[in-house]
Amino acid sequence: MTASAYVKVEDVAGYADVPLEEKERLFEQVRSDPRFEDYLYGCYECGICVAACPSARFYDFSPRRVAQACAREDAELVYQQMQEDIWECSQCFSCLRCPRGNNPGGLITIMREVAVNNGLASAREALEGYSRIIYKIMSTGTQVSPDMLQPDAFPDWGPEVRDVSENLDLWRRALPPETHHTTSTGWDVSERTLVELYLIWLRTGALDMIKEVDEGLHMILQEVMEERLEEEGIEA
Amino acid sequence: MSSSTIVVIGGGPAGLEAARGVAELGSRVVLVEKRDFLGGTPVAENYAGLTPHMEEAEPAMQRMAERVLSNPLAEVLLSHEVTSCEGEAGDFQLGVAGPDGERKIECGAVIVATGFQHFDPGRETQVYGYYEYPDVIALQDLEAMLKDGHVVRPSNGEAPERLCFIQCVGSRDRHIGNEYCSKVCCGVASKEAIEVRRHLPGCKVFIFYIDMRMYGYWESEIYWPAQEQHHVQYVKGIVTEVIQRGDKLLVRGEDTTMGRPMEIPMDIVVLSVGMEPSVGTRETAKLLGLRQNKYGFIEAASPPLDTVSTSREGILACGAALGPADLEDTISSAGAAAMKAVVLVRAEEPALAG
Amino acid sequence: MTIPVDELKRKKERFERDPETLPEDFHEQLFQLEEDGEWTIQRVPEPYVEVPTKYGRSKKVPMAHLWHHKSCGQCGHIPGYSTSIFWIMRKLGYEYEDPRDQTSCTAWNYYASATSNAAAQAAVAMRNFAAASESGYYPLIHCGTSYGHYKEVRAELLRHAELRREVRDVLATLGKPFVMPEEIVHYSEYLYAVRDQIAAQQVRDCSRVAVTVHPACHYYKLVEGDAIYDPDVYGGQRTAVVTAVAEALGAEVRTYSTWFDCCGFGFRHILVQRDFTRSFATQRKIEVMKEEANPDVVLTHDTGCVTTLDKSQFAAKAHERNVGVAVLSEAQFAALAMGAHPYKVCQLHWHSADYRPLLEKLGIDWEQAWAEFQESLKKLESGERQYLTWDDVDG
Repeated sequence: MTASAYVKVEDVAGYADVPLEEKERLFEQVRSDPRFEDYLYGCYECGICVAACPSARFYDFSPRRVAQACAREDAELVYQQMQEDIWECSQCFSCLRCPRGNNPGGLITIMREVAVNNGLASAREALEGYSRIIYKIMSTGTQVSPDMLQPDAFPDWGPEVRDVSENLDLWRRALPPETHHTTSTGWDVSERTLVELYLIWLRTGALDMIKEVDEGLHMILQEVMEERLEEEGIEA
Repeated sequence: MSSSTIVVIGGGPAGLEAARGVAELGSRVVLVEKRDFLGGTPVAENYAGLTPHMEEAEPAMQRMAERVLSNPLAEVLLSHEVTSCEGEAGDFQLGVAGPDGERKIECGAVIVATGFQHFDPGRETQVYGYYEYPDVIALQDLEAMLKDGHVVRPSNGEAPERLCFIQCVGSRDRHIGNEYCSKVCCGVASKEAIEVRRHLPGCKVFIFYIDMRMYGYWESEIYWPAQEQHHVQYVKGIVTEVIQRGDKLLVRGEDTTMGRPMEIPMDIVVLSVGMEPSVGTRETAKLLGLRQNKYGFIEAASPPLDTVSTSREGILACGAALGPADLEDTISSAGAAAMKAVVLVRAEEPALAG
Repeated sequence: MTIPVDELKRKKERFERDPETLPEDFHEQLFQLEEDGEWTIQRVPEPYVEVPTKYGRSKKVPMAHLWHHKSCGQCGHIPGYSTSIFWIMRKLGYEYEDPRDQTSCTAWNYYASATSNAAAQAAVAMRNFAAASESGYYPLIHCGTSYGHYKEVRAELLRHAELRREVRDVLATLGKPFVMPEEIVHYSEYLYAVRDQIAAQQVRDCSRVAVTVHPACHYYKLVEGDAIYDPDVYGGQRTAVVTAVAEALGAEVRTYSTWFDCCGFGFRHILVQRDFTRSFATQRKIEVMKEEANPDVVLTHDTGCVTTLDKSQFAAKAHERNVGVAVLSEAQFAALAMGAHPYKVCQLHWHSADYRPLLEKLGIDWEQAWAEFQESLKKLESGERQYLTWDDVDG
């Protein structure tokens, strides 16, 4: 394997270097996404995106470098960014101030999808400890439910988290909106709605994406969804 | 019936040069100007020194006006506007209205020299606070202060210690729709930077840019002296936000050379606003039925070899009515328009030549 | 002829938009696609109010018959936020639908993990819109991210025929119609539109309350032309939502030098990389606000922003940072101004940063209020009542 100009040695980088053809294949997936041409016109390196970007202040991260790498069709650099940089983006879209109309945050979204679809190390690492959130949103149609507010999960959010978790059922019943009397979901989602959601995940291939980053989670989700669909007498 | 008179619409540098050219070539010319004075934007907006040699703007415009006013073949109608246009090349009837009423002018050709206006920073994509902070001003505002001989912070009347220019305001932007470069702002900003440094040697001056565009001799006449003699600081990295902190303005951008975000306090921020078609250009284009490009400027029929013909035969355009132009472009295109107009009317009436 | 500085200041007093500079309106394509038979457009019902947007286009905001597209984060862990929105609408006398046939927009997960794709996201959006239209009510979006994300989805659907086809097919298998609302409306736009009605029912004095406003990135940075900008608020140079409501209530709105900064929510970061979120919320937002503006309350209009700014202060305090200011949605603040109970309606016990000084400034005896709330809880505990209802909170 030739040492690339950009990529570090595996035990330093935390991910494997791959042949150029593989990097080009990955870049091609990014480039052929239908949204790519909406997100990247030309870049005249003005730096507005970096100036507006919160992640650029905290990390060694630059939306300008991402746009440039894509514009230059530099598969090596794009691969490195997919492994090292893209998960630092906070998806705020302040970079949409770009005068050319580029969307570096959008390019990063595409790059992340490709990273997930291909099970890249960075995707797995970024989503470590995140699987229960994915499970919640995909299986119940709401996210960060009341019963997820546990003090050991959010110790830094203050002592109120403990109060919430200790009084959860009571405090949820003390909410006037009729749909809010739930603890395991944000609001009361109807059965039929859940079925429709599952069909969306299955038919758009979104569920399949999980397989590459977390096989166990994928299996559980698939079981839950297929079971529910069977109960309703629907073909997956 | 055909006419050998030529009408010039607009009394700025383009119109004055075109009118002078026509008259000195021996044809009759009527110059129609909306304002009650000649000299156009350089006078209306109180420009201090012309780019690049910093010759005083108002006397220069006055000299140009003098040469037209003193020529017996030239008639100048101040405070007049064009209200209608009928006929065809060689035989137009132009309706004009002024304080004394309306009249029709018979003419063989028309030269449109209605110029530009400065981009209004209220439409800017970035957040520059032109309408929020007194100390955020535009290029022409600084010109007026330089002409007045006092460059001060509008907020407190004190001389600034730190002043910066932000380039490309209103130009090169897909959201705004002005996808072109306004050509002159890099040179004008650099010229103003030099003027500020001369006027206030204690004031640090910065220019934040995407690209520095000073073509031809402007490179050595303005850019190099700005850096080498006057120590103007050029930073490659445009600004996205101007916001107040305490009594300073914080300017936020990326220093792309160093590859890191920057946040710098300033006393005065000068927005290098671009050129847009003036109200007069847009109205005249519609009135005369001239094709405009997607930015609203009058479209030159076949550049680069013919820069002054429009979509309508017999009607020519020159100067910034066609698009961003510096004074050299403007004077040159005005001359070309005058030549073509005179050729046209003489072709119709060879007996009147000379 | 010289120009004094005064002339310059006078010239910059007010921004007047040149009507010739109106950009293309996406509605043209929206309705064209309806004509072509690609989808149906759900029209904004009457009565509606017209509000100004960034480039001068007018936007319609419906008053009644609204289908509340809820926010998972709000309902999940700051339920006083959504409760306040419902409460205000009830107080103003507009009937609405609170649906069970609604999923989260799922954008929080999408932006955090990218374990989804353009088609799935668009299908989720269109499924929710279809559910609204089937109910006969018009969707009102509670969350800033849902709103921004749905605007993005609309732009993608307008742009890509292939995507429209795929999503329409998926919806067809669900037996759902393919419907796009005429306008995508955020609840903070609704509150902007009814701010005078809110002020007319104000019973608590806000004139001693200093407010800093944090505008949500996803509200005004995504599809930036479709956001409210009002010439009378910040001269039309900053988005007018939240601020206009605070001003209508007589509060003193103060600015600060990181107004346009993101709060640091980060979607993924706030869950699994919180040092980023906390650093940002503390150093770029709360500390700057406290130092430069010293507010009694920070008002914002998005789930993630309330969560970030409210929850990040506790750990920062342990590091002796200059934090400690209440964080509320403008809905909760408006509800308090209209007389809502701080615990039964605004549910402030779910918040982290101390809100009690704010309540005191509003003339609310929070000890009394907490005691009242405890009374209600006792009834629920004993089984005397099953739930706290709207009747209990004078809604």
